[in-house]
Amino acid sequence: MNTKQFVSNLLEIAVEEKSESINVCWTGKSIDRNPGKFITPILASVLDKSVSGKKEIILDFRKLAYLNSSTITPIIKVLERAKRGTIRVTILYDKSLKWQELNFSALEIFITEDKRVNIEGL
Amino acid sequence: MQKSIHLKLKPDWKEIEPIRLESSKFLEGHRFSTDTVNALTMIVSELIENAIKYGFFVQPEGQVSVNIQVGRKVITVEVSNPVDSSTYNNLKKLDRTIQWIRGYQDPFEAYLDKLKEIAKKPIADEESGLGLVRIAYEGRGIIDFFVSEDGLLSVSVISSFFEREAGR
Repeated sequence: MNTKQFVSNLLEIAVEEKSESINVCWTGKSIDRNPGKFITPILASVLDKSVSGKKEIILDFRKLAYLNSSTITPIIKVLERAKRGTIRVTILYDKSLKWQELNFSALEIFITEDKRVNIEGL
Repeated sequence: MQKSIHLKLKPDWKEIEPIRLESSKFLEGHRFSTDTVNALTMIVSELIENAIKYGFFVQPEGQVSVNIQVGRKVITVEVSNPVDSSTYNNLKKLDRTIQWIRGYQDPFEAYLDKLKEIAKKPIADEESGLGLVRIAYEGRGIIDFFVSEDGLLSVSVISSFFEREAGR
């Protein structure tokens, strides 16, 4: 098991590489002015590893307390890239939190028929 | 209980989080549900972010001001910042965005269309343009703005996201 932690301001992203998947756990608040500068390189690296290792990407937002709207952009770009490619991406969110339910259920427009790209409220 | 709160901040990104916390505390004091506090704090944050990004802050006293007013049926959030002729294009864009949102019967549809639009943009394009439509959708907010004669832009949101804890 291999875990790397990345921190920017109040946001922490932990990338844990497992045998079948790469788990990306988001904690804290994403409030930077240009969050993509921090997030995009992490997600790009995860995407590359997912392709080369044929591993599913799990983006777990359940411990996230807040994200500003600029944070949604890099997340959408990953989903769109996954949709057009062959990799598997699952987003996990806490459906008991209204703000998470509203934000992440809207991303269901990116779900593929075969659920290769999937959004799950837990 | 205090019906409104008036806060001021410098146009510095680091000042947003303390204002977020202070706004949350004020709203929690009114015994709104956590979901309502989160939604309204999001509105405050997104409006301040826009004010700092697109305001005109040359004078040393240039500030962003935040007003939250709790009414009987709605909550109004108003964020003001100085503007000048150099920010005219931003005002036009603000006007267009508000009109665009109003063109939808359901702001959820506007939000989805914006997500689809963002998805088509190149990875390097970091601008989301989601803030206002997120306010309309997630915060159930009706957005409006006006510019005063002395060059102060005020963007107001009337939100009906209004769930109080039982027994209030």
